[in-house]
Amino acid sequence: MKKSIKDRVAVIGTGVTKFGERWEKSADDLIADAVLAACKEANVDLQKDVEAGWVGVAYDSTGTSGNVMTDPVAFYGKPVTRVENYCCTGMDSFRNAAYAVAAGIYDIVIATGVEKLLDTGGSGLKMDMMYPHNTLIGQSAPGIFAPGALRAFKEYGWTKEDLARVAVKNHHNGVKHPKAHFRKEITLETAVNAPMICYPLGLFDCCAISDGAAALILTTPEIAKDRVGSGNYATVKAVSQAVFTKYPFNDPNYTGISVPSTVQAGVSAYEQAGIQNPRKELDFGIVHDCFTFAELLHYQDLGLCGTGESADLIREGVTAIDGDFPINPDGGLKCFGHPIGATGCRMVAELTKQVLGKAEGYQVKDAKAGLAHNLGGPLSIGMVSIVGTPEWEAGG
Amino acid sequence: MVGILSYGAYVPIWRIDRSVIAQIAGTGSMGGERSLAARDEDSLTMAVEAGVDCLAGLDPKEIDGLYFATASSPFKQKLGSSIIASALDMRKDVCTFDFNSSVRAGTSAVKAALDAVKAGSAKKVLVIASDHRVGRPGSQYEQMFGDAAAALLIGDNGAICEENGFATVSNPIPGPWQTETDTYLRTFEPKLDRLSGVLGDMPTAVNEVLGKAGLTSSDISKFALAGPDPRSYRDLARTLKFDPKTQMEDPLFSSVGVTGTSHALLLLVSALEKAAPGDKIVCVSHGEGSDAFLFTATPEIETAKREHRGTKYVASKKMVPSYGRFADWQGTRDTGWPPRDMSSSVVTFWREERWAFPFYGMKCNNCGTIQYPLGRSCINCRATDNFEEVRIASKGKVFTFAHDYIYDHGLIPGDGVTPGTRVVSDMEDGCRIWLEMVDCEQEAVEIDMPIELTFRLLHDKGGYRFYGWRARPVRG
Repeated sequence: MKKSIKDRVAVIGTGVTKFGERWEKSADDLIADAVLAACKEANVDLQKDVEAGWVGVAYDSTGTSGNVMTDPVAFYGKPVTRVENYCCTGMDSFRNAAYAVAAGIYDIVIATGVEKLLDTGGSGLKMDMMYPHNTLIGQSAPGIFAPGALRAFKEYGWTKEDLARVAVKNHHNGVKHPKAHFRKEITLETAVNAPMICYPLGLFDCCAISDGAAALILTTPEIAKDRVGSGNYATVKAVSQAVFTKYPFNDPNYTGISVPSTVQAGVSAYEQAGIQNPRKELDFGIVHDCFTFAELLHYQDLGLCGTGESADLIREGVTAIDGDFPINPDGGLKCFGHPIGATGCRMVAELTKQVLGKAEGYQVKDAKAGLAHNLGGPLSIGMVSIVGTPEWEAGG
Repeated sequence: MVGILSYGAYVPIWRIDRSVIAQIAGTGSMGGERSLAARDEDSLTMAVEAGVDCLAGLDPKEIDGLYFATASSPFKQKLGSSIIASALDMRKDVCTFDFNSSVRAGTSAVKAALDAVKAGSAKKVLVIASDHRVGRPGSQYEQMFGDAAAALLIGDNGAICEENGFATVSNPIPGPWQTETDTYLRTFEPKLDRLSGVLGDMPTAVNEVLGKAGLTSSDISKFALAGPDPRSYRDLARTLKFDPKTQMEDPLFSSVGVTGTSHALLLLVSALEKAAPGDKIVCVSHGEGSDAFLFTATPEIETAKREHRGTKYVASKKMVPSYGRFADWQGTRDTGWPPRDMSSSVVTFWREERWAFPFYGMKCNNCGTIQYPLGRSCINCRATDNFEEVRIASKGKVFTFAHDYIYDHGLIPGDGVTPGTRVVSDMEDGCRIWLEMVDCEQEAVEIDMPIELTFRLLHDKGGYRFYGWRARPVRG
């Protein structure tokens, strides 16, 4: 790698809609709301100041092309690119936009994403696009993680209760977040005894199908200081991505209990940020808890604990909002659902709010830097972004 | 010496007690149980299974012809035998013929195969007869029919039993029939069909074949008679003057049912499994006339017994829990599931024939990893365009699994309410592969469980039928 992206890009504005069953809002409505909110917070004029856009949209049923974001806000005459990369779609929109600023091509850009999952009906995510081949079998989204959970039960002795603890924790956090889809505490018993969705994953092991949009205004740290002033912007410390096979279950190296794309994305992000020990040097994390088991998988794959120790972290409250290393203080995908195109941008917005001390009601104490993680596709695409205060340095 | 070189059979694992059907139909039960193809099985998939059984330990590339007989082809126009030949990994220049339109087609195909071998135009011909006939709900056929397939490899060298005679009768009796547009089989007057057709034609054919050989019915060890209904056996035994207790092969009515084109061959397989060298077997079919064969077991018969499952498939069974499941699988009840209006590319299916039918994967020339599907690069060592194509092993064990309640790929093994099970499997050749699991209760699936491949209908999107391989627990 020639140059790290560290501190070359600043987040100066975030816009996140209420996530949930937004029957009354179109994709146009949602993206307009997110984009306008982000511009307002960033103190930029969309038409005058923003030079280029990236829009994350996973499903063609939500929309196709850069046009997804142009018409709702009349953002004409600028380059706009649609990004699709499975569940990393939103974060990859952010990555591409950040690179454009870091490359010095543009001063101010927008990274945004939206998904209207409720408009398509049915239960669960549509998965047919993953395997257009007639002869290859697919699976539901929980079907991607359920086989791994059974391996972890066997190899590490993790239990359904451990999975339920993740759900209980994240639902507890989500209560405080005004934009979360679900804002209700649940009990361990409720989670353990919920109807089965994909054995061994029950209803509360799965995140919901939700609509939502999010947007980020990115610029250079120099312009950031000028636009919003110190204390009102965060800087990007790392953004990484790694793609592995889309046939994990045909891979002789598949274990079910470690995902190479997450591991590699973590390693790469820590290298960019100069981090040796993420558990010590970062303050919190927002990880891709599309399923409770996935959250546990990510703890160890992201180097927050040793192999097989994830269940200890959740049992001991390490990852609770007041724990040693809070994970998903916002409530995670468990409470927000996962409108694919929007999620990654929303996560970066959450990182920004936390490190700026603006996460009212769900603020992690003394948060200076945190990571956000997505895992997309059939375990195939991992992404990690690290955002912190401009002053933050690794090793602290 | 022209005759049978090898045999095989297939009976789906599922059975339904006839009284369960009778209760819904509001009629009397015919007694016993019948076999039932699962939702992802049809005459073509069952034919592949019987072919696999018949060819156990044999090289499919040595076979010159594949004759497929069925009265219930899943396609009105499409050559089933070409799909079966590909699934069995036969040569591209194999002679593929379909024999259709009558339950007599199974023995007709055997006759054609014997003739081809005798004429010297083929050395080995595989004959497979298979039927999945759906009786109209409430009709006697709904209880009477069973689903099964049988396969015979015909050739002239090393026969386990030789053919010593053939006789046939052609007779356009009124019924039963099914027109181009009929969903179900019809009859007008079954008694007339039985008296004028079956009970006349079958004895005529048998007596002719016995007469030509200078034999009487008392010289015959076993009569493998495929009658149209359970009542016909008693009448046939009386007419042909043989002892139904000792000389008649169990028609499998109480365990399987009347299985159409495969019936005569299935009973022949059953007889061959028990035959001793020198035993004489008469195999007789019906259907707009009758075909009768005389076979004599050779000393080679003993060698065949080890290799095949044959009618072990009859004993290996599970009961469907309800008439509703039966109706769903028969397709006689429209649940609106799964959605049939989704399209799928037949082009990609054609392009991927070698993955789909003969189940080829790739073996990396660099690291030796056997993997599926066929691609350009090794999933393990990343070597590109450096592999050979290999057929994936047919047996393996479960590495891990999931029971998925919400994923509908078009035709999952469940019924839309029960989950579809998918297994990450480690095959005996080391290939790691993700397979859909069938013929299995959820509770029975566990890590390290042995599994084997089974040929199934994967889905039928866009009105086409996409076939391929799934996993099932190893059947006894």
